[in-house]
Amino acid sequence: MSDLDAASGLKLIAVCYAAGILSSLLARWSGRLALRVGHLFALAGAVAGLGVSLGVLLGGPGFTLNQPLPALFPFARLSLSVDGLSAYFLLVISVVAIAAAIYGPAYLAAHAPDASAARQAAQVVALNVFLGCMVFVCAAGDAMTFLLCWEGMTLSSYVLVVSDDRDGENARAGLLYMVMAHGGTALLLVAFLALTERAGGFDFAALRAVAANLDGTTRTVLFFVALGGFATKAGVIPLHVWLPRAHPAAPSHVSALMSGVMLKVAIYGMLRFGFDLLAPATGALPSSWGWTVLILGTTSAVLGVLYALQLHDLPRLLAFHSVENIGIILIGVGLAMILWRTEGAGGVLATVALTAALLHTVNHAAFKGLLFLGAGSVLSRTHVRNIEELGGLARRMPWTAGLFLLGAVAISALPPLNGFVSEWLTFQVLLGGAMRFHGPAGLGIVFSAAMLALTGGLAAACFAKAFGVTFLGRPRTPHAEHATEAPTSMIVGMVCLAVVCVGLGVAPGYAMRLLDAPTAGLLHGPGASAVVTARGPLVLSASMMPEGTSATAISMTVMAALLVALAALAWVLRREDRHAERRAAPTWTCGMTPTPRFDYTATAFAKPLRLVFAALYRPRREVVREMTAPYAVRRIRYAGEIVDLSETQIYHRVERGISELSRAIRDRSTGRIYGYIGFLFGALVVTLLLFGVGPG
Amino acid sequence: MIGERSLVLVLLELALLVLLGPLVTGTIQKLKARLQSRQGAGLLQPYRDLAKLFRKGTVQADTTSGFFRSIPVLVLAATMAAGALVPVIRAGPPAVPLGDALMLLGLLALARFLTSVGALDAGGAFGGMGASREMTIAPLVEPVLMMVVFSAAVVAGTTELGALAAHRGTSWILGWHAADFLGFAAMLVLLPAETGRIPVDNPDTHLELTMLHEGMLLEHSGPGLGCMVLASHTRQIVTLGLVSALFFPAAVAGAGAVSLLLGAGAFAVKILVLAVYLALVESSYAKLRLFRVPLYLGIGFVCALTALALRIL
Repeated sequence: MSDLDAASGLKLIAVCYAAGILSSLLARWSGRLALRVGHLFALAGAVAGLGVSLGVLLGGPGFTLNQPLPALFPFARLSLSVDGLSAYFLLVISVVAIAAAIYGPAYLAAHAPDASAARQAAQVVALNVFLGCMVFVCAAGDAMTFLLCWEGMTLSSYVLVVSDDRDGENARAGLLYMVMAHGGTALLLVAFLALTERAGGFDFAALRAVAANLDGTTRTVLFFVALGGFATKAGVIPLHVWLPRAHPAAPSHVSALMSGVMLKVAIYGMLRFGFDLLAPATGALPSSWGWTVLILGTTSAVLGVLYALQLHDLPRLLAFHSVENIGIILIGVGLAMILWRTEGAGGVLATVALTAALLHTVNHAAFKGLLFLGAGSVLSRTHVRNIEELGGLARRMPWTAGLFLLGAVAISALPPLNGFVSEWLTFQVLLGGAMRFHGPAGLGIVFSAAMLALTGGLAAACFAKAFGVTFLGRPRTPHAEHATEAPTSMIVGMVCLAVVCVGLGVAPGYAMRLLDAPTAGLLHGPGASAVVTARGPLVLSASMMPEGTSATAISMTVMAALLVALAALAWVLRREDRHAERRAAPTWTCGMTPTPRFDYTATAFAKPLRLVFAALYRPRREVVREMTAPYAVRRIRYAGEIVDLSETQIYHRVERGISELSRAIRDRSTGRIYGYIGFLFGALVVTLLLFGVGPG
Repeated sequence: MIGERSLVLVLLELALLVLLGPLVTGTIQKLKARLQSRQGAGLLQPYRDLAKLFRKGTVQADTTSGFFRSIPVLVLAATMAAGALVPVIRAGPPAVPLGDALMLLGLLALARFLTSVGALDAGGAFGGMGASREMTIAPLVEPVLMMVVFSAAVVAGTTELGALAAHRGTSWILGWHAADFLGFAAMLVLLPAETGRIPVDNPDTHLELTMLHEGMLLEHSGPGLGCMVLASHTRQIVTLGLVSALFFPAAVAGAGAVSLLLGAGAFAVKILVLAVYLALVESSYAKLRLFRVPLYLGIGFVCALTALALRIL
């Protein structure tokens, strides 16, 4: 692709999203029409984004697209710059955006048929701003564009979160989201301003040049400040509290975008800062960076899935799984940071680690998007979020059920789907890292591997619960009983993502070419396909020995073919004898009439693990019995809940501290304007005393 | 002795594994019966049971969804695919790359996931209870299994089972490192859990309070149940094969018919030894309470972690 084509592609993206924003004006006449047209333009923008990203990714090594923007500010030159890394994240955004834009109109029409035209217009504007801002955060060529789009992304997603209002709960979720997101943005602002002040400009190129000469301490401090900002947006534990509240509150296709894509924009920021802007000119990264990211990743992975396991609100459960998967991505990122530019085969291993992280990024976007869309179909058909009140939907919504099951297998990292591939690569790097680092460091890496294995097992348990209780058995409420299949356009949206899941699972080697540009560009080493698919696109291999003597090679394609062949064999084996009887009978319930109350509930399903990990959950339960006679229970009420440790241990304490502080301030505030002017004057004097007497 | 295993050999090994699976169960049952001073059924009883099941009609719960009928097929296929990854007759990586130990564990996990999903489909409390318990124990077993695999893999530099076995080569128990003993000990702790036997599960019971795996099979019948039972047999021999590949790999050179037979014979002996171990454990212990099982698995975790620490430190 030539520079010109790509540049016009970027313009096309901007035009599409702008047209999408303008199409909200149609809501004057018909809200439904505005929704349709707005989503259509979003779809066009996403397709254009896909084109640009593929053009850059396949445009040869080192292809970078630079595009100056109109000068809005006298002090900063705005520009776009799309290199391999940007293009890759643009690809991730576009894939999910396409599915969400196909899915959206029918979902909104079915979920909120009586929504006001104003609300629909707001949703159209916010969706297009949201998508456009995510694209341009990744395509930003300077700090100003980055921060502006970052803020646009936050504000528009806030509008989407509160747009689907339910009894004020969304407003509270939105407020928490705003507070957390702006805390994160403040940290980013500090990191960026510290660099731009030294560089005297906002261009990434200038920042890079000035960062090369930073001393080690400043560099590390800046990295951790930026990491804090990005980790807040990515929902890394313990900065995740907003995520399981805000994501499910938005309309489901927006949840898919927020969980599947917006978190990845934060990962993009981390990679951009860690490997590009703040990286020293030569030599390895400070070891504290990689280890911190690795520890954060491992913690998020395990705790994310553990909390998800005990939740029975389907979208919230999925949101906690996003925390888990961000953790898995961060394990790969952390390993890449630890291994980058170390001697021996470290460089090759770093490439594998980054490949694993980037592959898991697109994988998670695909299956989490699919699962959120599936949950959205259930929600729009039943208007029930609690899986305890569902059941039996597989008979009523077979397509949704099948696609949800596919997503569940993928997210549980089970072969032959895509989740397994990226986790396999992560395991290979963990093993390779453990072999390189003897001593406690190696043991730490191995421990992280064990935790990753635990995460996979727990995810499978969680999705056996989520799928089984939602879709199988008998319907427990009339809502579930009268559900019908989702409309075709919603199914098509889901099928798009399911195809990505299967394709990246069965033939991941072909996707490696797309990972060449980001890995080689960021690490200045060999590309992904040279390392991972050295033996052809059908074979994945990861060289682990420092000398690269022995390598594990697997072929997802051959295994998938073997699985299909064996399934065909088993099908033949299972085919009933024609003369044999085949009949249906009620499920065995010890002789009683089967009712939905015999079905195992999600709470019961997760109970053994709740007790095994009781130290973490601190479960509380309350059982109230109404007795008619000493031994005859007339009615029994059970309530149980678990606590999020970071909420009780960190946030509640901070909250208490702030409350006390504000109470103390309230006591001092007299309500007279002279008093406040006095405070202001005092603050000014103190500030001048502290900073006004500089060397200048 | 390190050579690549051709695809034909791999498929032959897979067939052998699947065909011998019920025999292992038969052997364990017979041994248990003898240890309990009973005559017991013949060694071939599992084959007769399978043949009977595949001829029988089907009774299916009327509330099940369309998935229910394909669950046994998929479970059996996933388990057999895992069997293709175990080196049986000869060590060495397969000529056509297939999968490694992680893939094997992943396929077994897939089979388990699908089994528990199927158990929830009929909508009875037994299936749900079995699925819940199985999915409680599995996440605790898998990390430990993976750590045992890693403790072997950090030395060989690969997680491919055939290559791992080839790397260990003929080093017999006398040549073992301390880490090998600890890893093997962890494996011995895990074996009853992974094969669904006492003290973790009891394959003979149909009492609702005690069963794990059997509870999930309650609503399957006829050929479907046959597939599930065959999958359990296969899973058992695959797990035993994993242990033998990690700790007592095949040591047969050459490609002639004699050496192939020798390899198969050696494999049978190794599996038999492990089967005797399982029968002895089943006969000498009682089933643990469900909430004692994590403590029991903790022993395996400590052993595996120490084995890894010894390798790395």
